[in-house]
Amino acid sequence: MLELQHLYRSFRGIPAIEDVSFQVAPGEIVGFLGPNGAGKSTTVKIITGMLRPNDGRVLFAGQDIAKDMVAFRAALGYVPEEAHLYDYLSGLEYLQLVGRLRGLGEALIEAKATRLLKLLNLESWQYSPISTYSKGMRQRVLIAAALLHDPKLLIFDEPLSGLDVVSGRLFKDLLELLAAQGKAVLYISHVLEVVEQVCNRVIVIAKGRVLADARPADLVKLMSLPNLESVFAQLVEQQDTRTLAQEMVEVMQIGRS
Amino acid sequence: MHKFIHKLIDRLPLDFRILYRQFLLRVVDLEALSIQADVVGFLGQFAGVLIMLSLIHSLVTYIGFWVFSAPAEHLAFCWHMEHYLISTTMLVIGLITVVSWDATFPDRRDVMVLSPLPVAPHTILLAKMAASAAVSGLAILALNVASGVILPLLLGVQPGPAWGFIQSLAAYWFTVVAASAFLYCSVLTIQGFTSLVLPRRIFLRLSAFLQLAAFGLFLGVYFAQPLLTDPVSLADPRNHWVLASSPSYWFFALFNQLNGSWPAQFSWLASRAWIALGLAVTGAASSLLLCYIHTMKKTVEEPDLVPGAGGLHCLSSFGNSLQTAVALFSIRSLTRSRQHRVAFAFYLAFVFGLALSLLRGEMAAAAYSPVSMDLLISTFLMMFFAVAGLRNVFSLPISLTANWVLRTTQLRPSEDYVAATRRSLLLLAVVPVWLLSFALSLRFRPIPHVAVHLAVLALLGCILAELCLIGFYKVPFTCSYLPGKANIQLIFWGFIIVMIAFVVPAAQFELSALTVPLKAAFMLSALGALFWALWIFNRHRAKSAVIYFEEIPDQVITTLGLSA
Repeated sequence: MLELQHLYRSFRGIPAIEDVSFQVAPGEIVGFLGPNGAGKSTTVKIITGMLRPNDGRVLFAGQDIAKDMVAFRAALGYVPEEAHLYDYLSGLEYLQLVGRLRGLGEALIEAKATRLLKLLNLESWQYSPISTYSKGMRQRVLIAAALLHDPKLLIFDEPLSGLDVVSGRLFKDLLELLAAQGKAVLYISHVLEVVEQVCNRVIVIAKGRVLADARPADLVKLMSLPNLESVFAQLVEQQDTRTLAQEMVEVMQIGRS
Repeated sequence: MHKFIHKLIDRLPLDFRILYRQFLLRVVDLEALSIQADVVGFLGQFAGVLIMLSLIHSLVTYIGFWVFSAPAEHLAFCWHMEHYLISTTMLVIGLITVVSWDATFPDRRDVMVLSPLPVAPHTILLAKMAASAAVSGLAILALNVASGVILPLLLGVQPGPAWGFIQSLAAYWFTVVAASAFLYCSVLTIQGFTSLVLPRRIFLRLSAFLQLAAFGLFLGVYFAQPLLTDPVSLADPRNHWVLASSPSYWFFALFNQLNGSWPAQFSWLASRAWIALGLAVTGAASSLLLCYIHTMKKTVEEPDLVPGAGGLHCLSSFGNSLQTAVALFSIRSLTRSRQHRVAFAFYLAFVFGLALSLLRGEMAAAAYSPVSMDLLISTFLMMFFAVAGLRNVFSLPISLTANWVLRTTQLRPSEDYVAATRRSLLLLAVVPVWLLSFALSLRFRPIPHVAVHLAVLALLGCILAELCLIGFYKVPFTCSYLPGKANIQLIFWGFIIVMIAFVVPAAQFELSALTVPLKAAFMLSALGALFWALWIFNRHRAKSAVIYFEEIPDQVITTLGLSA
């Protein structure tokens, strides 16, 4: 359903991503992993049409999205990494805005928005301004807005950020049900434990290049490591965190007599 | 002198100095003015404008003082200038109280940030008061720097040149400071007691409307209050209620009383100034004190989130779903963002005050008035300012980082977005002004003339909306970008100057056309054709346009500059 072909994008001559290619099939949940600055956000911005690649293309249902961005946007549900919303709108008003921008009918918006807000435990606060919402509540509004128009492709960028344990579990179940309905899901997260549980496949990116594209279990087996976290650490050559932490404590103690 | 002031400041406690500097940055409502933390630059420009005004005032005072030589004319001119300078100072201070609306009271941010720190509440209060006083003092000084010397110098000829000047000078400066203190303290009193009486959430909602009401009141009174600065008008019993209810006349009387040049029969006006000043200062002091004792505690205890109430659910359709989305987004942005509300209110209050002052006579008349130049000019100006003002406010982005949602949901061609913006312009500027003009027109006759004028006004509003849409390929409140990086303020004021130059001949033409049906029909047809041509032009250009969005967030870090 979604196919990235040799994407390349640079900023002021410095490549952010190089030769990024992968696919997300209908009914598949694909984890997209990488350390900070690896090129995940750039890739997602290109997929969502907010950024144009210098080279390569993104295909959706076999069509280049650049040729019919409107059709692609109509099929896309997106939860961004940062919960940036129009703070002065209430949760319900925000969903109404998104529904209207997507051309849904008033009755449909009303029915879907109120039901989603209720299911996401936001019913009591649906008329309160978003500025008063906690991070988890904002995240739930974003999830509701992404689901409002029954999209075929869903991109979740750190969707568990700020969510409590119950909401987190609900979201994991939701992902599985969405995949069972034939939706293609691209799931970006740093919580590797969850990625290992819910994703059919993971793509690891570092320094703008795809390093791995395989099932989590296959990766763990192939690299003879205990879990995905260890695989990730080895793939992206993470520094020794224990040593780093020790150095930070030493800096903190400078000047102590 | 500079070193002495620095030494004096250095003797103040460090926590007071840090808080004073921080509050000075926030006295001017950054949100309302959108000046991106450049307060020093803003204050410099602000003081520069006021000093220029002061120089113009003093020049006019000096020339008029010698031109009007006949005793009655001379007295009327002097009194007029005195009242004008005092009321203008009050207006400026009034506008400062509007833009620094919540600056003196503790807000949630202060309480949450400063409570864990070893800072006493009275230090916060004193630092806030010092910051407010500094800005107000700067304004009073700048506005009166030249006129506040020239006027006393010219007036102070009795009983001897030196003593008379000193008496006039002291009387003038005391009066402008007292009048400013009265206004500032009155606003603080109303705000303070409202915050004490009402639950905090309701107060915060009401406070926004109080701010707008105060803004309209200050400008409305300044422009609409009648001129009663001669002995005959002052003695006329019909003017008693105006004098009794207008603070600028109380302080005008106070100045003359202190200057020793006030007839005893009007001393009641000066007494009102003293009483009002005493009440305002006492009210402000007590409400501030109570606020710092009670409100800080209330602010900490209030829940972070309380259920809200449903808003504009009944107004759910303004055309297709995109037009409804953009219209409701515009209405909510305009009504809920203080920055946009105050900016739009500025344009409206200024011109509506002017219009009311033009139509004062016709509105007060017992019989219907014939359609006049005053009606035509005032309604034209209201339409120009409302449409151009709203177009200007549309270009102030409200939340750049949230614009991603508009980009990812852009499912329709750009001409649909331009049509949705057009509808918002018509809904928020043209229709309200037309309705207000309709209400004002009820006092005018004959009805056919009124009907033709209202038709002309409606077409004019539509034409102005189309003019504003040329090159405006964006959703309101989402982007400040203009093709060619033009300066929106320059465009706005240029547009207003052109329109004002156009208003008088246009009104003269319309007035002459009203009595000739054929000419009136031609005028309406020409306006209709112009509107249709502009509509076609905008629609055609919008088809190939790209809708712009801006996503660079504002700078959020400001430095206090306390280090050497």
